[in-house]
Amino acid sequence: MNAPAAAFDPRPPRPAHPRPARLRRALLADGFVLGLCGLYAAAVAPFTPGFATAGNAVNLLVTLLPLFVVALGQTVVLIAGGIDLSVTAVIGLASIAGAMAMNAQTGWLAGSVWAAPVGVVLMLAIGAAVGAGNGLAVTRLRMPAFIVTLAGMMGYGGLAVWLTKSKAINELPTAFNALGGRLGFALLIAAAAGGLVHLILSRSLFGRWLYAVGHNARAAHISGVPVAGVTFSAYVGSGLLAALAAVLLTGQAETGSPVLGQRILLDVIGATVIGGTSLFGGRGKVLWTLSGVLFLKLVDNSLNLLNLSLFTITMVKGGVILLAAVLDALRTRWAGFRR
Amino acid sequence: MNRPLPAGLALALRHAPLLLFALVVAVFGLLAPRFLSVDNAVNILLQSAPTGVVAVGMTLVLLTAGVDLSVGAIMFVAAAIGGKLLLLGQPWSVVLPLMLVLGSALGAVNAFFVTRLRIVPFIVTLALLFVGRGFALWITETRAMNLPDGFLTLGTSRLAGVPLPLLILGGVVIVAQVTLAHTPFGRQLYALGNHPENARMAGLRTDRLLVAVYVISGGCAALGAILLLGQLGTVSPKFGEAYEFKAIAAAVLGGTSLFGGRGTVFPGTLFGAVLIHAIESGLVILNADPYLYPLITAGIIFVAVLLDSVRHEFFARLGRRHIRREPLASPPAS
Amino acid sequence: MTPAPAIAFEGITHGFGGVRVLHDVTFAVPRGCTLGLIGENGAGKSTLMNLLGGNLRPDAGRMLRDGAPYAPTHPTDAARTRIAFIHQELNLFPNLSLAENLFLTAFPRTGGLPLIDRHALAARTRDLLAQVGLDAAPGTLVETLSAGERQLVEIARALSREANLIIFDEPTTSLSSRETAALFRLMAQLRQNGVALIYISHVLEQVRQLCDRIVVLRDGAVVAQGPITDFPVTRMISAMVGRSLTQLYPARRGTPAAEPALTVAGVSEPGVVHDISFTLHRGEILGLSGLMGAGRSELARILFGLDPHAAGAIRLGTAPLPRTNPHGRIRRGLAFLTEDRRHEGLCLEASIADNIALVTLPEHARPPLRLLDRAAWRQAIATIRDAVRLDPHLDDARPVATLSGGNQQKVVLAKWLLAHPAVLILDEPTRGVDVGARFEIYQLVLDLADRGSAVLLISSDLEELIGLCDRVLVMSEGEIRAEFPRGGFEREAMLRAALPREARP
Repeated sequence: MNAPAAAFDPRPPRPAHPRPARLRRALLADGFVLGLCGLYAAAVAPFTPGFATAGNAVNLLVTLLPLFVVALGQTVVLIAGGIDLSVTAVIGLASIAGAMAMNAQTGWLAGSVWAAPVGVVLMLAIGAAVGAGNGLAVTRLRMPAFIVTLAGMMGYGGLAVWLTKSKAINELPTAFNALGGRLGFALLIAAAAGGLVHLILSRSLFGRWLYAVGHNARAAHISGVPVAGVTFSAYVGSGLLAALAAVLLTGQAETGSPVLGQRILLDVIGATVIGGTSLFGGRGKVLWTLSGVLFLKLVDNSLNLLNLSLFTITMVKGGVILLAAVLDALRTRWAGFRR
Repeated sequence: MNRPLPAGLALALRHAPLLLFALVVAVFGLLAPRFLSVDNAVNILLQSAPTGVVAVGMTLVLLTAGVDLSVGAIMFVAAAIGGKLLLLGQPWSVVLPLMLVLGSALGAVNAFFVTRLRIVPFIVTLALLFVGRGFALWITETRAMNLPDGFLTLGTSRLAGVPLPLLILGGVVIVAQVTLAHTPFGRQLYALGNHPENARMAGLRTDRLLVAVYVISGGCAALGAILLLGQLGTVSPKFGEAYEFKAIAAAVLGGTSLFGGRGTVFPGTLFGAVLIHAIESGLVILNADPYLYPLITAGIIFVAVLLDSVRHEFFARLGRRHIRREPLASPPAS
Repeated sequence: MTPAPAIAFEGITHGFGGVRVLHDVTFAVPRGCTLGLIGENGAGKSTLMNLLGGNLRPDAGRMLRDGAPYAPTHPTDAARTRIAFIHQELNLFPNLSLAENLFLTAFPRTGGLPLIDRHALAARTRDLLAQVGLDAAPGTLVETLSAGERQLVEIARALSREANLIIFDEPTTSLSSRETAALFRLMAQLRQNGVALIYISHVLEQVRQLCDRIVVLRDGAVVAQGPITDFPVTRMISAMVGRSLTQLYPARRGTPAAEPALTVAGVSEPGVVHDISFTLHRGEILGLSGLMGAGRSELARILFGLDPHAAGAIRLGTAPLPRTNPHGRIRRGLAFLTEDRRHEGLCLEASIADNIALVTLPEHARPPLRLLDRAAWRQAIATIRDAVRLDPHLDDARPVATLSGGNQQKVVLAKWLLAHPAVLILDEPTRGVDVGARFEIYQLVLDLADRGSAVLLISSDLEELIGLCDRVLVMSEGEIRAEFPRGGFEREAMLRAALPREARP
C-alpha cells in the first residue's frame, strides 16, 4: 500500500485485492487451463462425431507432442522477455537438411548405420546455429527480438524452399522415422525434453537467472547475472527444441519438407501464452505450456472432426491467439503488476 | 560501451540509407547498364507506389512505437471483396471507396484490441494477419480472380503527363508529411511514441491517437491494394503477401525507428520504398532466381533494423551529456 | 472578507480494500501561500495528490477549489481547473522542441486550418521562457537541455496553462545548487503573483526556507499543521515519525584499519571523470560529496565495471581488477547499491526471496546441472532478513513492488550483504526512504564497517555524510577537488569545493 519512493506515482495505486477476487484467483491458478480443457472436451464431445474415442486420443497425442516440444523453447524465450518467431522456419530447414543428408537417393549418409543418429545431430546443430544467430542479433547487435526472428522466419524459410525448390524429400531411414512415427519413442523424447526444461526452469541457477533477466535485465546485469549469456542460451535452446520437434515431425511424415512447420507459428505462441506464460517476460512454467498445448490441440482437433475448412480453422486460431493475449493482459493486471 | 564513435563512422551512420542507395545503384548499374535508364527509373517509381503508400501508414504506426503486421492481409481482404463486388456488377464509384472504408475498418479492429484490451500491437496484428488471409482465401476460394480491365487502365493512365499512381503516391506522401510536421496531431504522435505514459499525463487523448494511426494504416493498406491491382489486374492467393515486411523495411530504411518517436515520411519512408524496389528491379533485370527473393527481402529487413538499432544506440549516446565540458550538465539518464 | 482558499480538503478519506490510506484529512492552501506537505513514505502524500490530480476519487469528504466543489475524474480535469503538477521525473518529450512541449495540447493554429501557426508559437514561447528566466530558442530540442533547464520548461508549461495552483513533488532532487536557487527565486515570484504552491519534499531545510505553512501527514492523517514559524526542523521530524529522534545518526564505534581495500589510481574517461585517485581502507566509510552531475555516480559505475575507463587502474585489496564486467567484480568482493532502486536495484515483480538471492545464487548451485540447494538459500535469506531488520510480517513470496521505499531498500541491501562484500558502494542509499528506515540503514552501514568492510558512500545530503563518514571527498566537474577528514568537516568549505570553478563567487 505504501507508495514507492518519493516519486508521486501519477497512476492510481494498485489495489491489493482487486474486486473480482474469485475470477482472479481462478485465472492465476496452475490448473485453470487444464480445467478449461476438461470443460471444453465435455462441451464439444456430444456434438463432435469421433471425438471421444481412443483412436482420436492417440491422434491428438501424436500431433500434440511436436507442438509441445516447440512450445517448450518458446516458453524459455518468453520468460527471458524475448520472442522467437523463427521456430517454424527452423523446423522446415532442419527437416530438409536432415532429409538431404539421410535419404536413400542422394544423401551422403545413405545406407550407413550411422545415418539416423548423425542425421539427428545435424538437425539439432542447425537448430542451435539458427538460435545462436538470433541470440547474437538480440544480445550483441541489440535488435528487437520480434523483428529479428520475423526476418529469420522469412529468410530461413526462404532458404529451405530455395535449397529444395519446394520439393519434399522421401526415403528416409526407418530408424529415423521411428523416432517420430512410433508413439512410444515420440512420447519418450517429448517427456524427456519437458522434464529437463522443467528441472532447469524450476530448480537450476540458469532458471532463476532466466526469470530475473525477464523481470529486469538491467537490475540482473548489475547483480552479476550474465544477461547476454542467459539470453543467448535461451534462443539457442529454442532453436534446439524446434529442431527436435522437426525430428518428430519429419519422422511422423516420413518426409523432409521445407514447409513442415509453416502453419504452426500461431499454435506455438497461442498455446504458450494461453497456458499462462507472459509476453512481458518473467513468468512461465512447463506445466502451463503443456496445458496450453493441450487446449489448443483440443480446439484444433474438434474443428477438424467437424470438417471445417482450413481457412475457418486458421481464423479460429487467430481468434484463439487474441484470446490468449487478452488473458495474458488480464493476468498481468490482476497479478498486481504493471508491465 | 560509451566510447565515442569515430567521426567518419558517425557520419556514415547518419547517411546510411543514402550510402546504401548509392551502393545499390552502382552495383546494379555496373552489372546491367539497362538498370540506369530513364525508363527503368520511372518503372521503379511506379513499382514503389503501392509499397510507398502502405509504408506511409506503417510509418505513423511505428512513430507510436507500435507495428502493424496486418497490412498485407488487409490488402488481400480489400482486394478480394472489392474484386468480388466488381465482378458482381457493382459500380466503381461504390467499390473503390468501399475498399478504403473496409481497410480502415480492419485498422479499427486492430486499434480496438490495442487500446481497449491493451494487447501488444505485434500480437494483435499478427493474429489479424492470419485471420484476414484465411478470410480472403475463403472469399476467393483459393483461386486467382481476374478483375475487369478498369484497374489496369487506372494503373497506366496519366494526368498532365504524370502516371496516376505516382500522383496518388505523391499526394499521400505530401499530406502525411505536412500532417506529421505541421499539425497538432502529427506532433502529438511524436510525443506519444516517445513516452506513452507521459503523453497521457500531459493530457493527450492517447487512445484516440492510436485509433487514428491504426485506422489510417488500414486505409493506406487498402489504397495500396488498389494501386497494386492497377499493376497486376488480378487477385491471386498470394496478393499482398509480405507487404508488411516491405512496408516496415521501407519505413525503417528511411530512418523511422522501431522504438518510436523518430522518423519522417518525406524524404524518409518514400526513399526507403524506392530503395527496396530499386533492388527488386535490379534482381529482375539480372534474372535472379525467384526463390532467392524472400532471402533478399529478409536480408534487407535485417540490415534496415540493424542500422536502426545502431542508430538508436548512437543517438542515446549523443544524448548522454558530458560532465566535464559542461559543468552544470545533468548526469546521464542511465 | 478573505477570498476562498485555492484548494481546501475537507474530511478526505480514502482506502484500498479495507486498508485506510487517508483518514479525515482537512487543510486548506490560501492563494499566494506556499504550503509544505511533509511526511514519511507511505504517510499518504502520494494518495492525496492522486486525488487532487483526478487519478483517484475519495471515499468520503470533498475538495473545494476557490470555494467551489471540485471532483476531478481524469487528469485533464485537473489541468482544466488550472492545477499543474511538477514531478520529480519530468514529463517532457526530449524528441520535441521546447515550444512543442509547452503547447502540445493547445497549439496555436493558422486561421481555421489544422496547421500549427509557427510564428505565434515561437512568440508565445519566448514570452513564457522570459517569465521563467530560461535563455533558449523556442525551436531547441528538449533533449539538449539540462535537468534544471527542463524543470524550468515544466514550470513554463504550468504558466502557459495559467495555473494558479502548482504542486512541486521533490523538484530539487536532480538539480544543481545554482539551479535550485533559481527555482526557489521563481517560486517566490509565483507566490507574489498570488499562485498557491504545494511543496512536497524530504529536504526539510528547503521546506523551512520556502514555505509559509506546514502540513504533516502520518499514517494517513494530518498530525500537525501551522505557520512555518512554529516548525523548526526538529519538530517537523518528530511530528513525521511520531517520536522524538534525539540522535539521527548512530554512534560510530570502530576505526578504519590501515590496509587498503580499494585503490583507485589515475582513473580517467574522456568527458566523464579525470584523474581520480584515492584509497579506501578496510573498515572505513568514505563519503563522496558533490552536486548532481559532478560525476559521482559515473565514477561508481566505472569502479563497478558497468562503464569503461580509458586510463588508470583499480585495485581491490592488492589485486588489479580486470576491465568492464560487474560479474567478475562481484566475485572479487565488490557490491554496488545504485541510486535508481526501481530500475536497477530490484526486479519489482519478483518476490522478496528471489531479489535477495539474486547475487549469491551461484554459491548454492550444484554441478552438473547447477541445480540449486533450496534449503541452503532459504536459510541464508532468513538470516539476512533478520540482519537488515526487514519487516517480519512480509512474506518471502511477496512481490517487492508492493513494499514501501524503506523496505525495498532493505531488500537491496540484504541482497548485497549476503555476498559479504569487501567493498560496498552505496549511491544515495536513503533517497526516498522514510526517517525510521533511514536510521536502520545507517546502523547497518556502521555495523558493516565495524566488521571490516569498506564503504564508499555517495550522498547529496551533506548532513548524512558528516554524520557517518570517516573522510569525505568532494567531486566537481568529474574531478576530486578536496578531501576532508573527520573532525575537519566544515559545511561551507565542502559546499564551496563542490561548486564548478567558473560558478564560484
